[in-house]
Amino acid sequence: MTVWRAAAFVACLGSVWPAGAQTLPSEPIALAGGRVTIGGDVSATYGSPDPGYFDYTDYSHSALRLLRIDVSAALNAGEHVTLLGEVRTENLGKFRPYAAYVRIRPWTKRNIDVNVGRVPPTFGAFARRTYANDNPLIGYPLAYQYLTTLRPDAVPGDAAELLQKRGTGWLVRYRYGNPALDGGVPLVSAFRWDTGVQVHAGTEAVRATAAVTAGTVANPLFRDDNSGRQIAARLELRPVAGLIVGGSGARGPFVGETAARGAVGDGHDREFTQTAWGGDVEYSRGYYLLRYEGIVSDWRMPIVRPPELTLPLRAVSTSVEGRYKILPGLYAAARVDHLAFSHITGTDAQGTLPWDAPVTRIEIGGGISVQRNLVLKLSVQRNTRNGGRLEPRETLGAAQLLFWF
Amino acid sequence: MLVLLSVSFVFAPQALTQAPPRHGIGAIRGRVELRRVATAAERRPGVAELGSPRGRDLPDLRRSVVYLESAPRGAFEPNEGGRAVMDQRNETFAPHVLAISIGTTVDFPNSDMFYHNVFSLSKTQRFDLGRYAAGHSRSVRFDRPGIVRVFCEIHSHMNAFILVFSHPFFALTDAEGRYRIENVPAGTYNVVAWNEGTWSDPKSVGVTGGGIAEQDFSLR
Repeated sequence: MTVWRAAAFVACLGSVWPAGAQTLPSEPIALAGGRVTIGGDVSATYGSPDPGYFDYTDYSHSALRLLRIDVSAALNAGEHVTLLGEVRTENLGKFRPYAAYVRIRPWTKRNIDVNVGRVPPTFGAFARRTYANDNPLIGYPLAYQYLTTLRPDAVPGDAAELLQKRGTGWLVRYRYGNPALDGGVPLVSAFRWDTGVQVHAGTEAVRATAAVTAGTVANPLFRDDNSGRQIAARLELRPVAGLIVGGSGARGPFVGETAARGAVGDGHDREFTQTAWGGDVEYSRGYYLLRYEGIVSDWRMPIVRPPELTLPLRAVSTSVEGRYKILPGLYAAARVDHLAFSHITGTDAQGTLPWDAPVTRIEIGGGISVQRNLVLKLSVQRNTRNGGRLEPRETLGAAQLLFWF
Repeated sequence: MLVLLSVSFVFAPQALTQAPPRHGIGAIRGRVELRRVATAAERRPGVAELGSPRGRDLPDLRRSVVYLESAPRGAFEPNEGGRAVMDQRNETFAPHVLAISIGTTVDFPNSDMFYHNVFSLSKTQRFDLGRYAAGHSRSVRFDRPGIVRVFCEIHSHMNAFILVFSHPFFALTDAEGRYRIENVPAGTYNVVAWNEGTWSDPKSVGVTGGGIAEQDFSLR
């Protein structure tokens, strides 16, 4: 079935591409006189086995063993309205909607846009450039990919239970809420977009965005699972060419209604929030590109019984990334990432520990352009986890071939 | 493969002999009719952008290049190094097509308030000028004949062509498609028209001393 689906996708591309073209498309496909544009990103990644689950994006997908196909489209329905959408499949599974929103520009001469639907992430810098073409390496920054042990649909009864799960975020289960095993959430999800209303305005030097959405940055949703909304905002300054300084904040109820009710009864789900703050800087010049991003995320979870959780449960991520072009079509890149967690006190035997196991990742690699839109990337990453029951250290290699149009 | 062969044939200096020049020089002029004008590359859908993209200029894709497929002996004296400019303005390379002789240095100024990054992975000439801001310019000297496709790494819809010739017998058409190749030594030549990666069949044109040969082209 999946083979047929892939064949249909390729046939679909072929049917809209000019008959005379003998090569794969290198530019977006334009239809209806340019009113409809269709772009695509395909990346095939194969890497070392990852028994420590450092690179898993959910229970069944590793970022290092992934075939991802994105097809995005924009329909310009006049000077005020554009419809945008994107579907994605991973490992030739079902195509799922990743983005689907309408962009309204009320005044054509003013840079103010209103996005309604499943909208791009307001928070942070990396979440809007998760495409392989925008990522100089193969792995993702930990804040956007690494699965912590927190779940929105299931909560621990006490600090001891949470400490017991340290380092098992790829598959975790708790006493209250959904009893099934499932993956935890990253600080900020790079793999789903939230649903709501977003307003963006700006000039070349200053840009501001605010949004009200159903989920939180860690758990974007299509349908809300509790009685509150997330409010997120981002301010971006571009004082000189090549320098981007951004700051973001977001706050919204994190724990689903069912899990909150199971833990502490009705009417409390709005109290169990995720609050995130982020700062990012990008500077590029000549052949260099440097990026820094720091994120602090606080979760307020239900307190059911002793030993009590010390709230908020805080996670702090730091990521520094650099890219240097060595020759035309050849670059080298590196990223250093660290995830730290606040301390909580469990049983006497457990003592006081970070509520999840701290993780460090160093990734180095590079890419070579076979042609402008066909790039081969290679990378090696060293992961270290301080605690938990799984592999504490792993060195993983991966290769990725990416194609975009 | 066919395309590659025709490119190398057209521009390779080895193909320089055809008809020995007779006394006197003339010119070739005519018009290139485009049956189908190519459309400018669209922006990628930009689903992850928070706001609408800024406005941009559209490149003029009607300009064609007409050139002698082969040239008389002695037409390949080294160029002393002319200069040409390909500007980056409103997210467009201007002009969209440059036709130059080998030895020419092309300046790529950035006239936008944001970064561009000009590069080419063409076999004729690979280069990457890196990112530079408004008011700055970087240059490339082209020393090999062929076609160079130029792109911006940051704005994927920006592209341009530079056609590098090993002889001086070429001309860019004007807005109406007219061209004129001057100072052609008397003789018979194969003349070719090019537009956006499409070539005409070579046309045999006889040039007499002091005369003007007429040759029109039609490109589909």
